[in-house]
Amino acid sequence: MIPAMYLASLGAILFCIGLMGVFTNKNGIIVLMCIEIMLNAVNLNFVAGALHYGDVTGWVFAAIAIAIAAAEVAVGLAIFLSLYSSRESIVLDEVMLLRH
Amino acid sequence: MSDNKTSEMRFLPIIGLCMLFPFLRMFGGEMANGAPFTALESAFLIPLIPIVIFPVIAILGQVNHGDEAWRERFKEGGMIALCSLAITLSLTIWLAIEFFTNGASFEEPLRQSVFNWINFDTITQDAAGNWIHLQNDSLGVGLWIDNVSMMLLFVASFLCFLICWFSIGYMNTDPINKDRNHRFYAEFVLFTAGMLGMVLADSFLWLFIFWEIMGLCSYLLIGFYYERPSAAYAAKKAFLTTRVGDIFLLIGLLMMYDIYGSLEFAVIFDDPSLHGAVDTGMLRCALIMLFIGAVGKSAQFPLHVWLPDAMEGPTPVSALIHAATMVNAGLYLVARFVPFFDVTSHGHGVEGLGDVAILIAWVGGITAFMAAIIAFVQNDIKKVLAYSTMSQLAYIFTGLGVALWFYNHGEHHAAVIAFGASMFHLFNHAMAKGMLFMASGSVIHEMHHAHHDAHHDDHGDEFDAQDMRNMGGLASKLPITSTAMAIGSASIIGIPLIGGFWSKEGIVAETWNAAALHGGTWLLVPAFLILLTAGMTGFYMTRMWMMTFAGKPKTEYAENVHEQTPWIPTPLITLSIISLLGGFVLAVLGATHWLGEAEALGTAIHEHGMVVAILDAIVHAFLPTEMFLFLITWVAITISLVVGPAMAMRIHGGRLNSGETAPRLISWILPLSSKFGRANVDDLANSGLADALHRRLYFDELYEWVIAKTVIPLAHALSWFDKNVVDGAIKGIEFGTQKISRDVRNLTTGSASDYIMVAVIGTFSILVLLWGVI
Repeated sequence: MIPAMYLASLGAILFCIGLMGVFTNKNGIIVLMCIEIMLNAVNLNFVAGALHYGDVTGWVFAAIAIAIAAAEVAVGLAIFLSLYSSRESIVLDEVMLLRH
Repeated sequence: MSDNKTSEMRFLPIIGLCMLFPFLRMFGGEMANGAPFTALESAFLIPLIPIVIFPVIAILGQVNHGDEAWRERFKEGGMIALCSLAITLSLTIWLAIEFFTNGASFEEPLRQSVFNWINFDTITQDAAGNWIHLQNDSLGVGLWIDNVSMMLLFVASFLCFLICWFSIGYMNTDPINKDRNHRFYAEFVLFTAGMLGMVLADSFLWLFIFWEIMGLCSYLLIGFYYERPSAAYAAKKAFLTTRVGDIFLLIGLLMMYDIYGSLEFAVIFDDPSLHGAVDTGMLRCALIMLFIGAVGKSAQFPLHVWLPDAMEGPTPVSALIHAATMVNAGLYLVARFVPFFDVTSHGHGVEGLGDVAILIAWVGGITAFMAAIIAFVQNDIKKVLAYSTMSQLAYIFTGLGVALWFYNHGEHHAAVIAFGASMFHLFNHAMAKGMLFMASGSVIHEMHHAHHDAHHDDHGDEFDAQDMRNMGGLASKLPITSTAMAIGSASIIGIPLIGGFWSKEGIVAETWNAAALHGGTWLLVPAFLILLTAGMTGFYMTRMWMMTFAGKPKTEYAENVHEQTPWIPTPLITLSIISLLGGFVLAVLGATHWLGEAEALGTAIHEHGMVVAILDAIVHAFLPTEMFLFLITWVAITISLVVGPAMAMRIHGGRLNSGETAPRLISWILPLSSKFGRANVDDLANSGLADALHRRLYFDELYEWVIAKTVIPLAHALSWFDKNVVDGAIKGIEFGTQKISRDVRNLTTGSASDYIMVAVIGTFSILVLLWGVI
């Protein structure tokens, strides 16, 4: 049996990788992928918690998070599609409409 | 014109109906509580009706702006004003009748409490610093009607009524006033309310409130032609100058409250000495403060500068406010000083206030002389009258000062005569001067019309319809006006047996009596000044009449003047009769004693018969028993009747053009005036003194210089402080906030990764903080 400690550490590493990816990448698709990595890192943490405490709630949370992540990806891709159709680019640094 | 003439007749029944208002009021009392209301119970309506009418005229005037019926049938509000003033006058007469039948008097005034205005508690701090409750107090509204207020009430309501009548002729026929007369009439009735309310008030507080209403109306009416810069300037000047006096008045009232714990006449006059415990020095200060307020309102030296400029207002305003009523407010206030000074067996006055009385007499004497000498060189007919008003009011101040001096030295009889003569002079002067101003208005109006008819455009040249150098020879063209003006001038000069003679002789004689025979050495200067002024009055009033009405016309316009405006002659004739006979009748009836010590009117007639009473009055006026006073009386009569007028006739007199006749009553004056020969006064007219007089003895310059050296630098300094310190603080806050928000705004880059970065840093910080807490 793998100790919950390893799972949680893997989750933390994955989360940091995802975070770094979000910060450093300009391409919207890659940023979306990095967010997926962070979500899955969180899922991993849920699973680790469930394992550690022997409580089924963590599994349920992970399942719901996966479902919501799927929906989120669909919405995110749709946003990038419409962004591309209006600007011919999905480089995030060029999307500055929220600036003062 | 005949249409207009009939219009005056058409309105008469309406005015007559308004005069029947007291009967309606009596009937209303019968309906309401079974017994008719008395005049005293109705007296509160006297100021209330004009106050209610004021907004009515103002609003109706705006609503019906330019409406033909409003203009013709209502005279742009003039008829409403006239009707309300007719009601006021009828109530006053009703009150006067009740006053005489009940024999109310100076010592026992009629009093009527109307309602309690404000109730409050008086608290004070004792030695240990605890607040203790002293008494329940209230500021009530009530009426106080004694001889003096009765007389002033009648003068005010009667003159307001007549001058409103005159205004309908004067204002409504002048095209420049078209469609804005409602403003005039609204302010006019509000002024009336102020004056009547002030006279009726039973406390210094309400006196002050109505006093200020009058000040406001004076300001508004002087500035009636606000499009003229000079009028706007004059209004401002009048308001600010009287404000200086009003500030002192307010301080004086607060000191009074401090001394007596109340401002009601009933409380204060009951025992002004507080059983001898009053602080005389404090009371002296308070009285001087009140007197300064009176000086401002009555245009006395040194706050006199506003009155001549106030002539920028329409002539009826000059007649009403700046000659007949408002300027008397100060005199009324000083007349209310009597209980403080009265140390005779009749009163509970305070000893040692003689110096205040001397101050009052000095201010009066100086103003009388100064105003008369400035009047010598004025060429504007209204300015001559303005200076004459100042001079005559100063007579009354001198008389009051002497009366108060006598009261304070325990000379009851002399004090009563001086006080009565002063108040009597107020009556005579108000009647004569109101009429003189209306007559001058008639002259100006007809000159203006003549000029207008000749040119049809007013704006072509710089013709001044008020300048007497453009007039001359108008006696034949304006018979009613010239006769009225002659009678009014005679009353002001004090020609024996006419109007002001009776009262002016009394003032002069009593002042000399105090100065020379009762040891009032300090009163010698005012006594000498007012004796001299009697002759000077004769000069400047005669000069004005001669320049206007005698000799040959000096311009082509003066040849084409006609007396034709309706509504104008009626008040002139009424007041001419009063000025001519009123003084004599009242003197015989014993008005002096009535005003001063509440002896019933006509006591002498009742006791000794008519002939004896008349002879008595004449003997008293012409042949005082004291040899010295006899001398003074005849010097005064000689210089005012002979020396002054003869000198004026020598300079300005002259016959009319041949073929023209003056009205019979005055036709003898003109040939007489040409008998004195001609004096050439060009040298004198170009001298430095004349220049100084034209510049009004440099008082305006002096005040402007003082203000430029004191107030204006202070204003600049304060302005700098305001701009840099006060505004600086506010602007600093504004600038700082903007700077911070500008800096913070730079954080919103719009880039998603930056936002996430901030979110992460924030979360991390919260975690660290939580770590620290837990």
